[in-house]
Amino acid sequence: MAAVEVRGLRKSYGKTTALDDVSFEVADGEFFCLLGPSGAGKTTTLKTLAGLVEPDAGEVLIDQTPSNDVEPTHRGLAMCFESYALYPQLDVYGNLASPLRSPLFRLPASEVDAKVRAVAGMLGIDGLLERPVTRLSNGQRQRVALGRVLVRPARAYLLDEPLAHLDAKIRASMRAELKTISRDAGTTTVYVTHDYVEALSLADRIGVIRDGRILQSGTPEEVWARPVDAFVAQAFGKPRMTLIEGGLTEDGFVSGDGVLRVPVPAVSAAPGDAVQIGVRPRDLRLRLGAEEPGAGWTAVDGRVYVLEHLGRATEVTVAVGDARLSVVAPRAAVAGLAADDRVSLLIRPSTVHVFATGDEGKRVST
Amino acid sequence: MSTEHAGPEVRRKSRIAGTAANAALIVYFLFSLLPIVFIIALSLKADRDQTTTYLWFAPTLDNYRTVLGLDGGGSSYVRFFLASLTTSVGAVLVSLVIGVPAAYAAARYRFKGSDNLMFTLLSFRFAPELLVIIPLAVIYRQLGLYDTAVGMIWVLQLVTMPLVVWILRSFFADFPVELEEAALLDGYSRRRAFVKVVLPLVRPGIAAVCLLAFIFAWNNFIFPFTLTSSSAQTVTVSSLAYLGGNQVRFNLVAAGAVMAALPPLVLALFIQRYLVRGLSFGAVKG
Amino acid sequence: MSVTTPSEVDHDDTPAGREEPGSRPPTVSRRRRRLRPYTLAVPAVLLCVGILYPFFVGVSYTVFNFSAANPNPAFVGLRNFAEITTSAPFWNSVRVTGSFAVTATVVETVLGVGVALLLYRGGILGKVLERALIVPLMVAPILAAIMWKLLLLPEVGWVRPLLAGLGVTDYTGTDSPLWAFIWSVVVDAWIYTPFVAIIALAGLRSLPASPFEAAAVDGAGWWFTFRRLTLPMLWPYVFVAVIFRLMDSLKMFDIIFGLTTGGPGDSTTTLQINAYLESISYARYSRGITYMVVLWAAVYLISMVLVGYLRRLQNRTAGEAT
Repeated sequence: MAAVEVRGLRKSYGKTTALDDVSFEVADGEFFCLLGPSGAGKTTTLKTLAGLVEPDAGEVLIDQTPSNDVEPTHRGLAMCFESYALYPQLDVYGNLASPLRSPLFRLPASEVDAKVRAVAGMLGIDGLLERPVTRLSNGQRQRVALGRVLVRPARAYLLDEPLAHLDAKIRASMRAELKTISRDAGTTTVYVTHDYVEALSLADRIGVIRDGRILQSGTPEEVWARPVDAFVAQAFGKPRMTLIEGGLTEDGFVSGDGVLRVPVPAVSAAPGDAVQIGVRPRDLRLRLGAEEPGAGWTAVDGRVYVLEHLGRATEVTVAVGDARLSVVAPRAAVAGLAADDRVSLLIRPSTVHVFATGDEGKRVST
Repeated sequence: MSTEHAGPEVRRKSRIAGTAANAALIVYFLFSLLPIVFIIALSLKADRDQTTTYLWFAPTLDNYRTVLGLDGGGSSYVRFFLASLTTSVGAVLVSLVIGVPAAYAAARYRFKGSDNLMFTLLSFRFAPELLVIIPLAVIYRQLGLYDTAVGMIWVLQLVTMPLVVWILRSFFADFPVELEEAALLDGYSRRRAFVKVVLPLVRPGIAAVCLLAFIFAWNNFIFPFTLTSSSAQTVTVSSLAYLGGNQVRFNLVAAGAVMAALPPLVLALFIQRYLVRGLSFGAVKG
Repeated sequence: MSVTTPSEVDHDDTPAGREEPGSRPPTVSRRRRRLRPYTLAVPAVLLCVGILYPFFVGVSYTVFNFSAANPNPAFVGLRNFAEITTSAPFWNSVRVTGSFAVTATVVETVLGVGVALLLYRGGILGKVLERALIVPLMVAPILAAIMWKLLLLPEVGWVRPLLAGLGVTDYTGTDSPLWAFIWSVVVDAWIYTPFVAIIALAGLRSLPASPFEAAAVDGAGWWFTFRRLTLPMLWPYVFVAVIFRLMDSLKMFDIIFGLTTGGPGDSTTTLQINAYLESISYARYSRGITYMVVLWAAVYLISMVLVGYLRRLQNRTAGEAT
């Protein structure tokens, strides 16, 4: 096991820039999630780390040792590919045994057998060992790919969307399994995903990546509570954080049309500055009847714009002037509600995030 | 094209169209197979039947015996046949040894000049052969390569090399690179990853390419015709030689042609699956 | 991967995974990593050089008066070009080459697409015949020419009686200039129509089904479907075949040489046949190769234009697909 680090990675393919100064550190034994939309550079970063992609600039350090010149074979990293990359000419057993039989490890057959069977048992594919990988379901392939990583000792595991192609039910249980495995083994892990739930639930630390740049890295609590910009803020949570453009006044935030007024926490911007606020739908409450707002809550009046039922809860979009605020309320609470009904929302200023305007507006609330 | 709900009029029309289509196909294939049937028939005719019969005659294998020298008359046909075999196999092997790494590099890496290399090779395929033959005839005489198997193998690279490199590049390019990358991380060196992962999966394609290259090398005429005279002369050239002279025995020409055409036809049976890609240099994936 | 750098071979069997912690893993410098593709391509590059050398030697002949009769040639500048471009045989062979290539390509394309459409209908007959399709294509062109030469011979061939059955009595084989040309095209079409058909058939089989289903639902007729859907979508495939056929028939040698040897007279003397006669038969090397350089330049220019068109065609189709 080892710490891994990348410093200032740059990579472009022709005119497209894949990586634009990517740096992060993963401590020994840490579980690091790289979270970002497709095309953000996640896979390229992982492959550069593994030595499969030659960076234009920047450095890869494994165990504090500069390792750019080390061949992928000798970096001691195990990688799980998003495409699974299973050897189609081999059966499940052959795939799982491949690293152990390689010149790098070359274990005796009995040891290979024991390890393969152990990892297959752990992943619940011990009944499939004789089966050709071409006759597996996607979920089974995914497990074999993961098994080929876990079966061998490695200084770090690189996992590229290892749960992406599983259906929702298996994904939840595999996520739990992965969490147990990584905690028990304590192997340094770099985990690439586009799913914020995976990142929040698995990671010790998260790096949010977009357009080949790391926007923020920190613990799940940090990136959730103090997103550095509007993009990171919207990357976590579903429904997504609502963003509303407007400006700052002495008393707080006022939306562009002047209808929505909300007090805000301390900001580093001055009154008169154009900003946007972000509010997570789950941080808002729908005011029921003539309920008095509690201490620290402010009421905002509006009309129901759209109701969307999400099972037990309902997402209510409320129009406040031109602004649209989403709130998630229990289904029972919105029973009598219809579009255009007057409602009022309760906002707690401490949960309001203030950003500069724009898609990637920087955080200005302190 | 469903005719389930169509009226009897439409159904009758489509039946007529179907019959016409089948008739057209049969006519084309009669045209296509006519020369083959004819040449086989001619090769089985005794001298006196050549000009007097069409399909009704007593077949004989005497012509084949004569061409092969089995009747004691002496013949160079077997030697020409073996020369075809040697030069074609040699040309394919050279193309394979040189072409596989180049095709792999062109498919896997972006490197300066790779496009130039590929298009230079392709231009060999489309260049008029005599453009190279004329200087080569002079150079070969100086180097002592005229009428040698080595000289033939060298010049046949114009035929086999573009084929091998272009088709194999398309195979390698289709091959998922992550399989190789997985093998690298599993602890195999680049060479071993290639041998362990890529080769087993590309092998049928490589075999098909070899057969196709062999067929084209075997079928080539202009190179052996101009650059050999006797010892390295191939069977395609010798077939023409039977037409010369004062007393032409057409049945012998036919027997020689049938035997010379046979190896490619037999080998072609094994490459059906890769034929489209092979014939189009990987431009169309069948 | 016949070429491997020494260090890769050395490290091949090092069980680095079991190395003691602290020991350095083997490294490969950036320069060596960058050289990797070049190392693999070196043999092929050398081969190209080996083939380009005679090519350049050949091109250099064009400015000399090199021949067997004149083994110590003198520099003559562009006189060879000037001579051939003012000579009637040259322009005759340009005409013959062009009309042969264009006629053969058009005939093969139309016939090949037709055969492909008929085979695409399937059925037992189609399946059986598809197997036989490849036969002429695998026969050496020179052997095909010999077969046809015999087939066309009035003494032994079957064409004379077949045509007689159709009422043609003045059959002359390849003795008239027009028929020598026609039969040359027929033989070329006999061999290469399957080539176009095989590629067109692969194209037909890879076309998406949904537009055709939509057309069928809309009640579109056969001709409309063919004109508006099949043909435009198939064209990029067919065009690949067209390029191959046009380029190949511009330099066709075997068929014409085997069938007519350029005759009667010079009625089927293409540029390659002419170059063969000049340089091999009459041993006027410089003269012969000048023909070839002209043909090569023409082939090169035409292929550039056609490949450029093919690229646009494929890009457009790819654009429509997404």
